[in-house]
Amino acid sequence: MKVKVVEKDVLNPLAEIMMVKEELNPIPYDFESVSLLDNTKPGANVILELLEKNLGKRKFVRVKKPAGSPATIKQLEIAANSEIVILALGDCGSCFSWIILDAIRLEKMGRSTISICSDRFLNFAHELAKSHGAEDLNILSIKHPVAGHSKEEIEEKTLQILPSLRYLLQIP
Amino acid sequence: MKSVKMDKKSHRSRSNENCSCLIEDLLENAKTDDHLCKVGPNDIEVFIDPDPEKTSYNFYIRRMTDGLPIIPPTRDRVLKFMEYTDRNPDDLLAVLPPRQGKAIIEKIAINSVMAGCLPQFMPIVQHSIEALSIEKFNLTSVNATTHPVAVCTILNGSVSREIGASSGDGCLGPGNLANATIGRAVRLCLINIAGAVPGIGDHATMGSPAKYSYAFAESEFESPWDSMHCERGFDPLTSTTTVMAVEAPHNVNDHRSKHAEELLETISHTLSTPGSNNSHVPGEVLVIMSPEHARTISRDGWDKQDVKNYLHENSLVSVELGDRGGRKLEKKWIVDGNIRITRSPNDVVLVIAGGDGRHTMIAHGFGTSSESVTLPILFKDGTPVQSVHDFKE
Repeated sequence: MKVKVVEKDVLNPLAEIMMVKEELNPIPYDFESVSLLDNTKPGANVILELLEKNLGKRKFVRVKKPAGSPATIKQLEIAANSEIVILALGDCGSCFSWIILDAIRLEKMGRSTISICSDRFLNFAHELAKSHGAEDLNILSIKHPVAGHSKEEIEEKTLQILPSLRYLLQIP
Repeated sequence: MKSVKMDKKSHRSRSNENCSCLIEDLLENAKTDDHLCKVGPNDIEVFIDPDPEKTSYNFYIRRMTDGLPIIPPTRDRVLKFMEYTDRNPDDLLAVLPPRQGKAIIEKIAINSVMAGCLPQFMPIVQHSIEALSIEKFNLTSVNATTHPVAVCTILNGSVSREIGASSGDGCLGPGNLANATIGRAVRLCLINIAGAVPGIGDHATMGSPAKYSYAFAESEFESPWDSMHCERGFDPLTSTTTVMAVEAPHNVNDHRSKHAEELLETISHTLSTPGSNNSHVPGEVLVIMSPEHARTISRDGWDKQDVKNYLHENSLVSVELGDRGGRKLEKKWIVDGNIRITRSPNDVVLVIAGGDGRHTMIAHGFGTSSESVTLPILFKDGTPVQSVHDFKE
């Protein structure tokens, strides 16, 4: 007689993913206005100030949003008044998450965005964007860490990302 | 051995679907005509439970556990959990970030099995997952943050007592099945549905022991005041689950205070902690007060609101120390050179729990970035669940 002993199957605890696809806005070939969305993390203002100085004679709008939580509708609306929005700084778990998610909200409002995250969180930022249907979201990485460093040190790190930013913005 | 399945080769004219043969009969009676089905002694498959060690390890290396052994989530076990929900297995409760995983009922049940829950705990876990998906809880940040914030689940009402959730001795520690496994089930759902895998979707710098499991019930009958769910507008008979994003608890040992104000002074000093999120982005704090402490305060004529008012007014840190957190301190939080760690008395979430002894536990929150959520345990038609046995009727 033959008795076959079979282990019962176990069910998979992993959830299926909600698949979505967001339409992203191309960077305009020429642009006059830029919003700088500052989540008030240490160094974010230093980065954005230096970028402003290096992006030529354009209209810049400064907007603050909370780190670790979503921007208010009003904050997004002010930011969306410009053609391009640059968001900084995603250098921790909750702040990079809401840099990316707020960037996606702005893209839905028809604005082109560039998000700045520290290199330690860059892959996660891309993964988060992908899981929210925005795989090709523009994300630039700055060398981690930024917090706890002097203004000069942060400016030095910022200068290193300028060529990539200029390339994305198609400006000389 | 749970079931016997027929070999396909033995199929002739009779259905095997309703086979109720005992394994012993099949082994002893070689003639298949003696049976309702067409199975013979040479073609038996015996299904056994998976080896827990092997399953735990297989799940562990795929990053699907908290590191502790799990109960293998077989279909039989999961089906028992489905008896304690009136939802369908594929009903979608929420989409959980960062992975944007679909929290369907079956996945919640699978993770609850793995955590070691009893099937009767299913309504609590189900509603807890629904609660933490509410926008104001901000699960995106709670999961992704470098901060060691954990999800604390606080139970109120008759269902928590019926399932034996502890609100008494050692309720925040080991030794109670409901507390230990409900908190663990919530965490496993966060790992496997939301994608809060350490280093991937959960970026906590160090994490916290509270992330393994963090659930308890309020000791409603020991409290001199309204319980938390009544304070939040629910009927005492309605069972609720509250999810709150907080750090691991910190003890306040005060055996000597005889009056409300001196005891609350001790608690407020423990709450006044630089480096907590509350110290630069004021928000909710959890205060778990022992019945003895609560009675000391109550007998001086102080009600719950008085306690909340006192703790709000007196729990503060200096601007110099407060402005060292992650987010720039906003001027609106500064009062006379200090920052209150709560925005208003309502941010003091006061719960009575614990056994004998003169201790209170406080847990700082996630600042302004998360609000606690209380949901009633309801059937899908909106009727409150009075007892888990209601699902059987």
